[in-house]
Amino acid sequence: MAAGTAVVQSKPTPGRLRESRSEALAGYALIAIPMALFLILNIGSIIYALFISFFEWGPRGPRDFLGTENYADVLGDRVFLKAVTNTVYYAFVWVPITMALGLMLAVIVNAKIRGQTFFRAAFYFPAIASSAAITVLWIFLLDPNGLFNALRQVFPFPGLFALLGFADNHNWVGHSSTALNSIVVLNAWTTSGTFMLFYLASLQTISHEVYEAAAIDGAGTWDTFWRITFPLLKPGHYFVATVAVIGALQIFDQAIIAGGASGEPNNALTTMVLYLYREAIAEFNFGYAAAVGMVLFLIVFTATVVQRRLFGQAPSW
Amino acid sequence: MATQAPAQPIRADSSVEVAPVGDRTARLRRRLAYVALIAYALLMFLPFAWTIITSFKTQADSVRLTFIPDPVSLLGWENAFTALDPSIPRLFFNSAVIAAAVTISNLVLGSMAGYAFARLRFPGREVLFLAVLATLMIPDPLRLVPVYQILKTFGLLSGSLQYVGVWLVLAVAAASIFLLRQYFLSIPRDLEEAAKLDGAGYFTTFVRVMLPLATPALAAVSILQFQGAWNGYFWPLIILTERSQWTLPLGLGQFRELYSTRWPELMAVVVMATIPILILYLFFQRYFVEGVAASGVKG
Repeated sequence: MAAGTAVVQSKPTPGRLRESRSEALAGYALIAIPMALFLILNIGSIIYALFISFFEWGPRGPRDFLGTENYADVLGDRVFLKAVTNTVYYAFVWVPITMALGLMLAVIVNAKIRGQTFFRAAFYFPAIASSAAITVLWIFLLDPNGLFNALRQVFPFPGLFALLGFADNHNWVGHSSTALNSIVVLNAWTTSGTFMLFYLASLQTISHEVYEAAAIDGAGTWDTFWRITFPLLKPGHYFVATVAVIGALQIFDQAIIAGGASGEPNNALTTMVLYLYREAIAEFNFGYAAAVGMVLFLIVFTATVVQRRLFGQAPSW
Repeated sequence: MATQAPAQPIRADSSVEVAPVGDRTARLRRRLAYVALIAYALLMFLPFAWTIITSFKTQADSVRLTFIPDPVSLLGWENAFTALDPSIPRLFFNSAVIAAAVTISNLVLGSMAGYAFARLRFPGREVLFLAVLATLMIPDPLRLVPVYQILKTFGLLSGSLQYVGVWLVLAVAAASIFLLRQYFLSIPRDLEEAAKLDGAGYFTTFVRVMLPLATPALAAVSILQFQGAWNGYFWPLIILTERSQWTLPLGLGQFRELYSTRWPELMAVVVMATIPILILYLFFQRYFVEGVAASGVKG
């Protein structure tokens, strides 16, 4: 048996050819089903979405070819513009807060402290619950009669919120001025644990020698963080920022659970994806909704490219 | 070597305890830091503890700032079991079926594709792998309309076939393929060479040699996908249009609209929806962390 294979290997051309052909066949056999699913439901469906977006397309299929009319309608729609404003605002506020929190937690957990594993487990804990469960819980905590307002009465800082003009029983999620911000805080709380784990993986790529050199030079903790850790984490920042922005621009679950399909109150929680969902599933405006999807894709794509130009390098998969 | 080894710990020690003069303030600062950390860690658990407490309160008691229910009431749990349509066991069953199917298919299809992309040479490999990666950058909701149309065309939007619809959309995630490919790449080639010399074909090598070696990566993928499918909201909301097919998160979302401020009932459902993942987290914390971290490390 062993002798036989040795003979085949010593004759280069026909044997290797047969071997590489059987290797390729094995490769195709293994990827056939996963790639078929991918080609139909991912790549194919994106092309299909582009196609649908040029039609007036109802629940029973295409009715009229519209060309780019859907796009003109989308861009001229005031509710859509409101959705874009909300989503972009959410991304601009939520991304930096959550990245800073995640980085801070990662640096703490990465330091030589007692109970490292416990703290890491605790900080990631809020991320394990479903968006539905955590949002319903959040609505309860921020209810006019909820825990947050009750704690405001107990602790001696109600003056702060009163100064900002919030009544004792302010309805945080249900009032249009605070609805979106309360979702920002909710998601900063739950997702900071995930970003902590991303940053932790990145922190562990920095070599000890750099820190030892800094210690010899007498650099303090603060200096070491800003002069060494922070700049050396550049690939980490880039990765976390990219994932964060792509995720933020698709905010949906918390918005629909808190504000329903109409993004109440007063469209304060209407995000781009919520608007897409409403047009597709509630109104059956499939062509129009597909155009919303393509615009969303363009915004996400632009954001990714801009981030790469500003902070990044080509990803090295 | 022998002289260098003891030199290192000494240097590391001296850098930690630099100034003997400020020793007491340093220790105090350390203690304060621990207190702050523990307080923050407790803050992570507090909302969930509040949920459990509230589920055992009466409606009137639920808006009071008390940590012990007075009286302890099971009414919230009872109502949650009787008022929800579909019933809690049905919601659990639906969630379990979908999460199990999604997890298994991600393991099987993800490891097949991951192994092929990592080890087998075939024309078009790089292009196909790049295409898989590119989908990570494309917003999922863009697929809402086309996927809805495709599933409708194949009759997967009615009855129990809706399960199949959700499963197909989530059957193999790009993240699973990527994570497993990276892991297969990190396994030394020697073992495969040995199997080859023993006359094992590609499939035997894959199943008998590579899969057992990839257990940690398979565990991370299982946890990641099970959690994702159990907690998922977007695709179930779109595809599971028949009530009888709903998952726990959908039931909870609907319950919240109907019983907007029946807190004990709502919190009982929140607890039930979270407990399976909580148990997994207690036992397999390592794989949660590894799965998330691995999807965060590029290449």
